[in-house]
Amino acid sequence: MNANEFDVIIIGGGITGAGTQRDCAMRGLRTLLIERSDIATGATGRNHGLLHSGARYAVNDPESAQECIRENMILRRIASHCIDETDGLFITLPEDDLAYQQTFVDACRNAGISAEIIDPDLARRMEPSVNPDLIGAVKVPDGSVDPFRLCAANMLDAKMHGGQVRLHTEVTGFIKEGDTIKGVHTRNRQTGEEVDYYAPVTVNACGIWGQHIAEMAGVKVGMFPAKGALLIFAHRVNNLVINRCRKPSNADILVPGDTVCIIGTTSTRIPFEECDTVAVTPDEVTLLITEGAKLAPSLSSTRILRAYAGVRPLVSADDDPTGRNISRGIVCLDHETRDGLKGFITITGGKLMTYRLMAEIATDAVCRKLGVEKACQTADIPLPGSEEQSYEAVAQKIWESPTTAQKAAAARMGTRAARIRTGDKRDDALICECEEVSVGEIKAAIDRLEVSTLTDLRRRTRVGMGTCQGEFCACRAAGLLVKAHGCVERERADLEDFLQERWKGNFPIGWGDTLREAEYTQWVYKLVLGL
Amino acid sequence: MRFDTVIIGGGLTGMLAGITLQKAGQKTAIISTGQNALHFFSGSFESIKEPSQRIVELFAEAGVRLHYSPGVRLLPLGTFKESALALEDVDIFPTPKFARKVLIVNFSGYHDFFTSFLADGLEKQGMTCRLRFLSLPELETLQQSPSEMRSVQIARVMDRVWEKVVQEVRVLLKDEDAVVLPQVFGLQDTSVPGRIRQGIPAHVVFAGTLPPSVPGIRTLILLKQRYQLLGGTYLMGDEVIRAHTHEGVVHSVATRNLDNHYIEAANFILSTGGYFSKGLISNPFQVLEPVFGLDVEYKEDRNQWYNPTFKEDQPYMHFGVKADENLHALKDGKPLENLFVAGSILGGNRPEFGFAAGQCIKTALFAADQILKK
Repeated sequence: MNANEFDVIIIGGGITGAGTQRDCAMRGLRTLLIERSDIATGATGRNHGLLHSGARYAVNDPESAQECIRENMILRRIASHCIDETDGLFITLPEDDLAYQQTFVDACRNAGISAEIIDPDLARRMEPSVNPDLIGAVKVPDGSVDPFRLCAANMLDAKMHGGQVRLHTEVTGFIKEGDTIKGVHTRNRQTGEEVDYYAPVTVNACGIWGQHIAEMAGVKVGMFPAKGALLIFAHRVNNLVINRCRKPSNADILVPGDTVCIIGTTSTRIPFEECDTVAVTPDEVTLLITEGAKLAPSLSSTRILRAYAGVRPLVSADDDPTGRNISRGIVCLDHETRDGLKGFITITGGKLMTYRLMAEIATDAVCRKLGVEKACQTADIPLPGSEEQSYEAVAQKIWESPTTAQKAAAARMGTRAARIRTGDKRDDALICECEEVSVGEIKAAIDRLEVSTLTDLRRRTRVGMGTCQGEFCACRAAGLLVKAHGCVERERADLEDFLQERWKGNFPIGWGDTLREAEYTQWVYKLVLGL
Repeated sequence: MRFDTVIIGGGLTGMLAGITLQKAGQKTAIISTGQNALHFFSGSFESIKEPSQRIVELFAEAGVRLHYSPGVRLLPLGTFKESALALEDVDIFPTPKFARKVLIVNFSGYHDFFTSFLADGLEKQGMTCRLRFLSLPELETLQQSPSEMRSVQIARVMDRVWEKVVQEVRVLLKDEDAVVLPQVFGLQDTSVPGRIRQGIPAHVVFAGTLPPSVPGIRTLILLKQRYQLLGGTYLMGDEVIRAHTHEGVVHSVATRNLDNHYIEAANFILSTGGYFSKGLISNPFQVLEPVFGLDVEYKEDRNQWYNPTFKEDQPYMHFGVKADENLHALKDGKPLENLFVAGSILGGNRPEFGFAAGQCIKTALFAADQILKK
């Protein structure tokens, strides 16, 4: 069989695509994943990183709520190194209707979500950053999830099951024979190399961009792009997720993640053409800060690290071209039955939280087409790195008396952190001091996780995600990438791209310490280093 | 406490103004938070294009040797930039091709010196490069801790063991006519860069590293010593928290550490720097000067503070305190007759003073001269 032939081609390196590739690969299929940029660059990496308990949807969308709590419990088992089991609070503020609390709790319980009304005093003790004026609180099993890590772990597992991955490669067209999709034309965006790949089934897992891919294949999938803006604060102000106990609205979720916390989100319809260039507006920043301070008042004086926005892949129902009836649920379209186009499936809608279920549904559809009968195992077999439940235990096993940097590495890599213990002191040297990322961890990422740029590296290791936003670590890491890839010219451009990408998220909130840091970065790179 | 002149801000600007005034017989004090831009000084005064005996002498008296030779200097990522006046250990070449063959030497495990970028940059200019790494046992202690291999820590070791570097480089050297080393020499012992040059039979170029800048910190130490030797009072780690101004005249300031004592002076110089050193502070709505509440030149619409492209000129970096042509600070549109603004806190477009470190020197001398002329 030709090296460019596979059982299934998956387009899209977000969490849905990576999850689908893992599932397909675990069921014995020969898989290829194609992504035009890097993993987790779309909605996957541009949300709260909230491990929903489902409580947010319990009142209005019980079906989503049930999906969430089921997947929540599964992810705790299979993706422990990507998950922080924080729990969450739904708080009622004086201006909210306390009567809603009972409706909320009843709906949660009906959906199978444990929801416990607690005394406001206890809530203040459990979460000292919470607005002290709260008049009601409900505790639910929310948590946080690192979408980059989750996506990388799925991709890695797919590779360990024989899957192949082509990042920075875009699909330029489909190979069609009659009414059947036989494969794709692709072009590597870094090298310009054009390659055709063949498979009896192709899965469109491109989120909001799935509309474009479907169009290219000759079918119509109506997406309704809804932009959501979020802010990252430089400190982990809260340890529990804090939500407002009311009908879901703007900026009413504060999620702690790693060393930071994230407030969001807004929801604005945007034209499809703007999906690639979404930016956060000053009005959105103001709204997020004002509403965020209602959840945790200290946010109003906490340094903001970045502003960013993503586009939700909402799908309009087939019989509703106006888009009024928009579903937030999972949508799996078999274009053979829907449009008479064979060998093509679209999986979209859904949430980061339900990616595994989406992948299972898509893989079931793929297997049906291929006549493969093999059960899904993704709910039972842990992702690589998640074989142990606690990162402290992992670090202890590897290092005996681990340093904070080693613990941080174990938290990021899970059991895979064993790979970076080389006994060579030089591998312990820190490249990123904010996030404590060592030479060894960066080498391991370059080695196994398909890194071609600094931004790719950031998504896999947190290099440059800390308070200095890459000021020092970017050029240190660039040195390591030159060593790995051997091209200085490319790395120079890459370094510029990385700084530009950091600045994009900094200038919308460019005041106070953020501006200080930005001025310093400008000085260092322009006047001192001479980029 | 009463002084002739009190200088708020102890970076390059404050120090040069203080030295100039002390030399002229004034009794001065410098109040410094300790954070200043010399910590990431490139070693070159880019905007000063003409030879200036006065500037060179002023530095020389402090033990900071400058050289004037218009040309280009090598930057840490392998590019070149025009320069004329620089520290003695920062080379300025007539043309970028400063050698035929170059040996680039780094310390093993040191990530803040960009050898491959340098090699690429030099090769583009037609030079042949060879990269080598030194493993000195003296640096092993630093490597025990994952964040100690940084410029200043290495420089402290190098003050003691620089001769070993000379020996090792002599062994490595083949037919190269130039050697590039990281700028980690001569932090305390300022003779070291010169002695390394004497000891290696090729032209030795010290190329910049990630901050902190060793030449910058050396300059800071020497200027501060000179200022104190001249009898200046250097209040380190302190900051002004209140100022008393009456009818357009500043009478006194109070500092965090000396809260109960008013520090009075006939004249004041404000040289607290830009955002980094908190000479300017900003919130979502405005840019402020926190000590005196001076008038600040900035755009009211925050969208006009930034260029969305990182590498483009950023408007916010030109914001700063308003001053009249003699550098008197403006407050509510009126000049304060005994408060002078100098250094990078100065706002607006003042091409006569240059920019960056060059602007610091020129405004420092200008402000000191204004005071002495009174």
